[in-house]
Amino acid sequence: MSAGPGLESLVDQTISVITNDGRNIVGVLKGFDQATNIILDESHERVYSTKEGVQQLVLGLYIIRGDNISVVGELDEDLDSNLDLSKLRAHPLKPVIH
Amino acid sequence: MLPLSLLKTAQGHPMLVELKNGETYNGHLVNCDTWMNIHLREVICTSKDGDRFWRMPECYIRGNTIKYLRVPDEVIDKVQEETKSRTDRKPPGVGRGRGRGRDDGPGGRAKGIGRGLEEGGPKGQGGGRGRGGPGGKPGGIRGISFFTFIIFYLSNSP
Repeated sequence: MSAGPGLESLVDQTISVITNDGRNIVGVLKGFDQATNIILDESHERVYSTKEGVQQLVLGLYIIRGDNISVVGELDEDLDSNLDLSKLRAHPLKPVIH
Repeated sequence: MLPLSLLKTAQGHPMLVELKNGETYNGHLVNCDTWMNIHLREVICTSKDGDRFWRMPECYIRGNTIKYLRVPDEVIDKVQEETKSRTDRKPPGVGRGRGRGRDDGPGGRAKGIGRGLEEGGPKGQGGGRGRGGPGGKPGGIRGISFFTFIIFYLSNSP
């Protein structure tokens, strides 16, 4: 990420989004607005569990409403491609409590 | 690209809407507004657990109840076409010459003192912001039928 606040610098990059319901969605940021509504292209959800490796669900083109977004982060694609998700175990995130 | 422009472009296309309460609505987008309120036709509503279904000819969803929208992949290419044709229509020269201009960095001229003849002064810099980008994208997920969901739901409905 470079130069200043905001998501402008992440456009056309792969990002990882944590939603209020505890999902982790990874995709290419195509656009956003003042309300942090986000366009994610070629997105997939990563489902974490302690019993088996990370499952990836293909989602495609998504518009996520800003209300439902907790965290947006840049994804290091080199680092990510070296991960063996099938061996990764983790507790699923709990939803945000308002 | 703004999320709401993408949504506007998706008019007439099938889409899946999940609400904050977990219900999902599958239908064709008729219209939407700047609050993300949406009007769907030929709708199948699915309960949070995915075990109950309701068909309805149309429905109207208040924007702030939406969690996310899933739209067909090809819609994003249509937005790009539209923004492109809009910029093509612009006469040349529009979009230049606004803004504050730029100081010439450290040690720049002291403005307005002494010298009489400064040519032009600080000028607007940078001509417009680029849009459009790489052409095609690497294949991948594209092309999976969006209807598979609806068919799946239909075949499971009582």
